[in-house]
Amino acid sequence: MIEYIITLKRKTSNIFNDGWVWRMAWRDARHNFSRLFLFVASLITGIAAVVALDSLNNSLQDDIDRNAKELLGADYVINANHKFEPELLTTFDSTKVEQASQADMASMVLFLNNNQSRLIRLVAFDGPFPFYGELETQPADAYTKMKGGRYAMLDASLASQYEVSSGDSLRIGNITFKVAGEVKRLPGGGGILTTFTPSVYISMSELDSTGLVQYGSRVTYKRFFKTTSESDAEKLVEDFKPLLRKYGHSYETVEGRREGLGEGFNAIYRFFSLLAFLALILGCIGVASSVHIYAREKRDEVAVLRCLGSTGWQAFNIYFIQIFFLGVIGSVIGAFMGAGIQQLIPVLFRDMLPLEVSFSISWISIAQGVVLGTLVSVLFSMLPLIAVRFVPPLTVLRSDFESVKTFSKSRLVAMVLIALFPFLFATYQTHSWRMGLMFSLGLAGALGLLTLVAMGLLYLVRKFFPTNASFVWRHALSNLFRPNNQTRMLMVSIGLGAFIIATLNIVEKSLLGQVEFTGQENQSNTILFDIQPSQKDGVVKLMKENNLDVKQVVPIITCRLSMINGKTVDEIQQDTTDRIRNWALTREYRVTYRDSLTASEELLKEYKKDDLVVKFPPPELQHRVKNPSGLFKVPIQTKEDQRYYGGVIGDSAVVNIPVTRDSVFVTISEGMTDELQVTVGDSLVFDVQGVPVRVIISGIRKVDWPKDPPNFIFVFPTGVLENAPQIFVATTRIDDQQVANRFQQQLVTLYPNVSLIDLRLILSTINELFDKLGLVVRFLALFSIITGLVVLAGAVINSKFVRMKENVLLRTIGARSRHIRGITLVEYAYLGLFSALTGLILSLGGGWLLTKFFFEITFAFDWLELLIITGGVVLLTMVIGWWNSRDVINTPPLQILRKES
Amino acid sequence: MSQTVLQAEGLTKTYRSGTNSLTVLDSVSFSVSQGETLSIIGPSGSGKTTLLGLCAGLDVPSSGIISLMGFKLNAMSEDDRAHIRNQYVGFVFQNFQLLQTLTALENVMVPLELRGEKNVSAKAKDLLDRVGLGQRMHHYPTQLSGGEQQRVAMARAFITDPKILFADEPTGNLDEENSNHVTDLLFSLNKQQQTTLILVTHNLELAQKTERILRMRGGKLVDQQSTAVL
Repeated sequence: MIEYIITLKRKTSNIFNDGWVWRMAWRDARHNFSRLFLFVASLITGIAAVVALDSLNNSLQDDIDRNAKELLGADYVINANHKFEPELLTTFDSTKVEQASQADMASMVLFLNNNQSRLIRLVAFDGPFPFYGELETQPADAYTKMKGGRYAMLDASLASQYEVSSGDSLRIGNITFKVAGEVKRLPGGGGILTTFTPSVYISMSELDSTGLVQYGSRVTYKRFFKTTSESDAEKLVEDFKPLLRKYGHSYETVEGRREGLGEGFNAIYRFFSLLAFLALILGCIGVASSVHIYAREKRDEVAVLRCLGSTGWQAFNIYFIQIFFLGVIGSVIGAFMGAGIQQLIPVLFRDMLPLEVSFSISWISIAQGVVLGTLVSVLFSMLPLIAVRFVPPLTVLRSDFESVKTFSKSRLVAMVLIALFPFLFATYQTHSWRMGLMFSLGLAGALGLLTLVAMGLLYLVRKFFPTNASFVWRHALSNLFRPNNQTRMLMVSIGLGAFIIATLNIVEKSLLGQVEFTGQENQSNTILFDIQPSQKDGVVKLMKENNLDVKQVVPIITCRLSMINGKTVDEIQQDTTDRIRNWALTREYRVTYRDSLTASEELLKEYKKDDLVVKFPPPELQHRVKNPSGLFKVPIQTKEDQRYYGGVIGDSAVVNIPVTRDSVFVTISEGMTDELQVTVGDSLVFDVQGVPVRVIISGIRKVDWPKDPPNFIFVFPTGVLENAPQIFVATTRIDDQQVANRFQQQLVTLYPNVSLIDLRLILSTINELFDKLGLVVRFLALFSIITGLVVLAGAVINSKFVRMKENVLLRTIGARSRHIRGITLVEYAYLGLFSALTGLILSLGGGWLLTKFFFEITFAFDWLELLIITGGVVLLTMVIGWWNSRDVINTPPLQILRKES
Repeated sequence: MSQTVLQAEGLTKTYRSGTNSLTVLDSVSFSVSQGETLSIIGPSGSGKTTLLGLCAGLDVPSSGIISLMGFKLNAMSEDDRAHIRNQYVGFVFQNFQLLQTLTALENVMVPLELRGEKNVSAKAKDLLDRVGLGQRMHHYPTQLSGGEQQRVAMARAFITDPKILFADEPTGNLDEENSNHVTDLLFSLNKQQQTTLILVTHNLELAQKTERILRMRGGKLVDQQSTAVL
């Protein structure tokens, strides 16, 4: 008997010295490239997304770093929302650095060439601004001309919208200006901001003569400084800091602007990274799924090879070599395609960026893409390929024979690496392990939820299977559950794309819903502000003459806070333990006075603390209630005995605070109580144009801000501020555009300082903004949909032969071509529908969460638009499915039967 | 005395599924000598194919010992058994089991290439000539008829000069003419190379061409007879 010495005899070889596996890999691959289409396509899509967005980020970062000074136009800028105080002006003058000034405010402009008017941002310049970068105009001498006299420049978008060109005239306030030219590019300006506020530029020397700067006008002042060195700029910052804090002004440095922009772009980049990450992960799933299908198809061949004496590793190596090289090829194609897509992005972004981005090809990104793609192709094909090692040779005799061994160390290592990959990749891309963790957890959550919804839908379909439906509909539905189906995977990937698009749509609708009240009957859609007391009656008369309903005429008084609960603003600023933010302390408050609530306000009726339930008094008693003792008291009704208590409501019980005859009770808007750290019963002192007015907070209003503006943080009672300097805001509703144009024209002519906000214009601006943003987001969401469709195409191609055989069988037993076509189309329609539903269900949930907690707006959606999205996804899925199934449908049965025989 | 190339002692194969178990092969013992031809016959489900799989080292028994060329297969790893198959065993299957992506010539070359041998194409071409496919060696399996595919499979089986050839219903998928051609070829190559032949078949006529017949029923070896006696 021969002894068992086999282990000594058998030579082992590795992938590098085993020429046979390389020969076999090539021989086998010659006929299998088309079968690996899905694999390569998935990889290309994922890598293209990553490279495109990575290159974009690199270009943006480079340009921000290179153009930081140009973005600010100066080394140092101080911003104020009122004229600089004399003390500050003296300090400015004492510095020996070059300076320039800017003032900007909202104003109406009347274009005299067509008598159209609109609200614009009026910017007045003084001095040699910009110190860095170039103010690019058309014609080139427009800026010089503007500085010289009554000339104005305007943003190119505004000029083209109102067909204004050099030499035309426009009226701002009391003055008529000639148009000097258009502003093409302004350091620190432009980009998407101009969508909201197109600007008109004049010389500072002309600002006062317009008559626009009056009491109550909201004017922002900027002072630009040019220093000789960075250290000078830093010294300037330190010198000015105490005064700026004292007066509540802000400042900006080049570094600050760079960081701010960088952070802004980082946020965008993170969002894009997330989408690229999703596309890549979907690509990875596509890779794993395609290799899984491929490996299953190779099972019989592997069994034969095993019978002939191949080891498990040899079999593995044959397919590993194929996958590796195709992975490299796919990664290279994907990386270059990504670089190509990146060149498309400027077209999408052109109107949204405040700086010109060079969008040069980033070779580092391309190299990273190739490495990443190769890594992904190897990593995500590892598990299905390892399964090849365990194909039992007995399969040649019994095709249903399954391997007993399913676990190995290599499988465990692959599983661990695959689980770690999303985290490591996201960490590498965002340079933050926290972000990486969030991304990977978020991804797991999102994919988990999508899978759950997809599974739930499929479960429901099976449970309520339409057994009475026609053959075509039933058979098409059954096809979704065929063995080795990719239905769930497709629902998740296509559903993810649908989810992104639908969520964007829901957020857009919800935001628009905030201003769409203009469409509702009797709601104001036009606001007139900066009406001086002397103009009030005239403006009201003009409105009436134009048959406009005067909805509100509201007085506005500007004031500042000087004390909170006995502590001066200075003391609070000094107190490091205080959590009140400086802007809330130093800002200018625009308050009004009245004795009743408006339609957009709701007094918080109940104030619960412990067992005390306080019923607030009706509005007419809200602000002051006189009692026989001469004290002003707010009546409080307890739950238990329905009796009234004297005093003012404190935080936990009735607080009897000494109030005098002239104490004033004000109400505050809900959110501001947190900002100022105050509640009912707290006292404040306002500086109303130099006069201190002590008030006590007697109520908290819930304000629906966008509804029926203007709305206010503080509302005073009547009888207190009537004699204070004030301006008025009037609201009305104009439905007819012609009436609106005529009224605006008359208003600008008669009352040039009065500005008019057309809420319909804001609505269209938001629409425009979303059109731009939406294009970008949809473009990126397409990556995920394309990946899904690539997976679909691959799944169809891979299951082509099985489907052909089924169709032949169906035809043999009497199915006509139209049945086959019907089944195919309906199957993909089902798939598209279920995928879209998966995305829609989640987007409704996601949209609700986003609107409630992130945007804090009312959740709204448009069924019709969601239906259109669903229809689009269904149609796209049907087209892709149909396109790839043409062979299946059109192949003559005999051809298949011959093959089979 | 001829050398024993295959020895089975108390071969049992049981498949378990949860708490259920199914014994498909029950204590089968027999041995085969060098150069002997033997057929295994029996009704469907009698355990013929399972026995063939165990004898060829494609699977391992639940109990019992299987020794091929002196090597105890049930003590070996799968890769070691693959090596044994490559060194000593040839296969011919009912459904040919050619690699669809390889030409006829490449299919025949594979076993020798697996051994690491160089310049194997001459031998493969010679064998293909011998089975009458000299003109079709660059065709892919899908371009060949069933009979031609089976002849390629036989060329592949004999290229390593195997000590033992396992044939599972080699004519099961062929018409009568091809069946006769393949049978003649099988026995003629077997004779030329002094290969031990173990044949699983339903075809009694084919079985009677071997020297010995093992009869299986219900997983048990119920009878073994010399065809000379029959």
